[in-house]
Amino acid sequence: MTLPTERLDFSAIVHRPKLTLPDGARLVVWVIVNVEEWDPKETMPRTVLTPPAGGAPMPDIPNWAWHEYGNRVGFWRMLEAIDEHRIRAVLAVNGSAIGRYEPIARAALERGWEFIGHGFTQKNMQKVADERDDIRKTAAAIRDFTGKNPRGWLGPGLTETWETPDLLVEEGYEYVCDWVLDDQPVLLKTRTKPIVGIPYTQECNDVAMMLIQHHKAGEYFDRAVDQFEQLYRDAARSARIMALVVHPYIMGAPHRLKYFRAALAHIRAYRDVLFWTGEEILDWYRARRT
Amino acid sequence: MIPRERCAYSAIVDRPPLVLPNRARLVVWTIVNLEFWDIARPMARQVLPAPTGHVLLPDVPNWAWHEYGMRVGVWRFFELFARLEIRPTLSINARVCEEYERVARAARDAGWEFMGHAWEQMPIHQVDDQFAMINQSLGVLERFAGTRPVGWLGPGLTETEDTPDLLAAAGVKYIGDWVYDDEPTEIRTAHGPLVTLPYTVELNDIPMMLVQHHESAYFTQRCVDTFERLYSEGAERAKIMAIAIHPYISGQPHRIKYLEAVYDHVSRFAGVLHWNGAEILDWYMAARGNQ
Repeated sequence: MTLPTERLDFSAIVHRPKLTLPDGARLVVWVIVNVEEWDPKETMPRTVLTPPAGGAPMPDIPNWAWHEYGNRVGFWRMLEAIDEHRIRAVLAVNGSAIGRYEPIARAALERGWEFIGHGFTQKNMQKVADERDDIRKTAAAIRDFTGKNPRGWLGPGLTETWETPDLLVEEGYEYVCDWVLDDQPVLLKTRTKPIVGIPYTQECNDVAMMLIQHHKAGEYFDRAVDQFEQLYRDAARSARIMALVVHPYIMGAPHRLKYFRAALAHIRAYRDVLFWTGEEILDWYRARRT
Repeated sequence: MIPRERCAYSAIVDRPPLVLPNRARLVVWTIVNLEFWDIARPMARQVLPAPTGHVLLPDVPNWAWHEYGMRVGVWRFFELFARLEIRPTLSINARVCEEYERVARAARDAGWEFMGHAWEQMPIHQVDDQFAMINQSLGVLERFAGTRPVGWLGPGLTETEDTPDLLAAAGVKYIGDWVYDDEPTEIRTAHGPLVTLPYTVELNDIPMMLVQHHESAYFTQRCVDTFERLYSEGAERAKIMAIAIHPYISGQPHRIKYLEAVYDHVSRFAGVLHWNGAEILDWYMAARGNQ
């Protein structure tokens, strides 16, 4: 068992050497679109509607269908907004979803989005039968479709076992998004070589905001702008990373999409802000450090 | 059958657009839900959990909260829809025809569509003989309203793996449980195809008010945001916007005006149709055939 504190030492952001971005840019924004497959034979990962008088009767068709809407309809709305702002996003994708939702994977590939592993299915990494096999199968599914090994990984629901970072490096992954503990990339020790942790977000994340905190749709825009303005100010001293996370079944609903689009438009108006993929952040961070 | 065996994945952008008569852009489908809550069992929803959180029987305060909808709230709906000349779809537990005959009669007399919604409000998984319950419910509604319902919505949209097969065998033509698209679709059953109509868990006062605990006014905002998006998309591809309401929630004095405001907003736009489920079904069957 390796504790988090054994993987990295405490470090205050104000005491680190300055990180600088190319061409005088202050901040990097990366947009992560999560595409999942929900197994109708399992408990649904999230629900919008509880059954009358509670309980968890199976199968759970209404909540399965609510998620499926995102892939049939919502994703395509989201894609339009991302295209409009000329952004290459990151597709965090369940390995099984690539074949199941092939038109989505194809649209992402055609646009040069980065594919990162997001579990083979949308199942807690602590519950999958064989974690290494799951991680490997996910990489294979991405490689078979894109011709490239995935370099990044996001656990389903950001879940990890004590061993996850070790397994990821051994299976060829170079960065992980589960460690939401900083505004800058960090290095995590593993039993072989280190893996980079890139700042993902639980804050500007539609699952937390809409499904857990039950905010109005407009809060996505308000919070993204507030988050951005503070990070932009902080980044005057040293570069920072801001993540924006969306799921097609949440922000792809007709009443929510415009708030995601408005957030992109607001940030896109800044000339000294870069929209990068995870691997661009990784390559930059590695080059700065050496 | 699991959902995948009933219907393959399909991206909306890969389908030919459906077209509405006279180039209309959008159909508003209003569904009013009427339920029977058995005082002998735990209540379907609660506004006030008992102190310490235990489930107490009988649960009089929450039973009464729902009962308010039948005694008072629903009459605000009748007044609103009469003024607007809209005839919604009535999703009705069949037992309501017996226990609240006065309310069911008002809907029948106003020409609303009756849609099957089980016998009473409990998850369909807990019904011993589902096929008998479906037939009993449809039979009661048929005798009461004069025609056999063509539509069905599970209580809380619940289904078991066989429900669509049993519904098709009972003569149901469309269901609202599959909230997975903006368009009607067709799914496979053991007794021929069944149409799914895009009911909603987004513009629905249960998730919004009872699960997500939004303020009353947000109902208007979310409906207007949805309408604007779908109306814009409706220029290229017919869209359906469902609004699902319950008298004990949206019929409250502090909420009704936010429902009224939705229809006021929508009424300013041309090319909007107010149809019930049976009308959407008829159009879909014909429109699909024309492709």
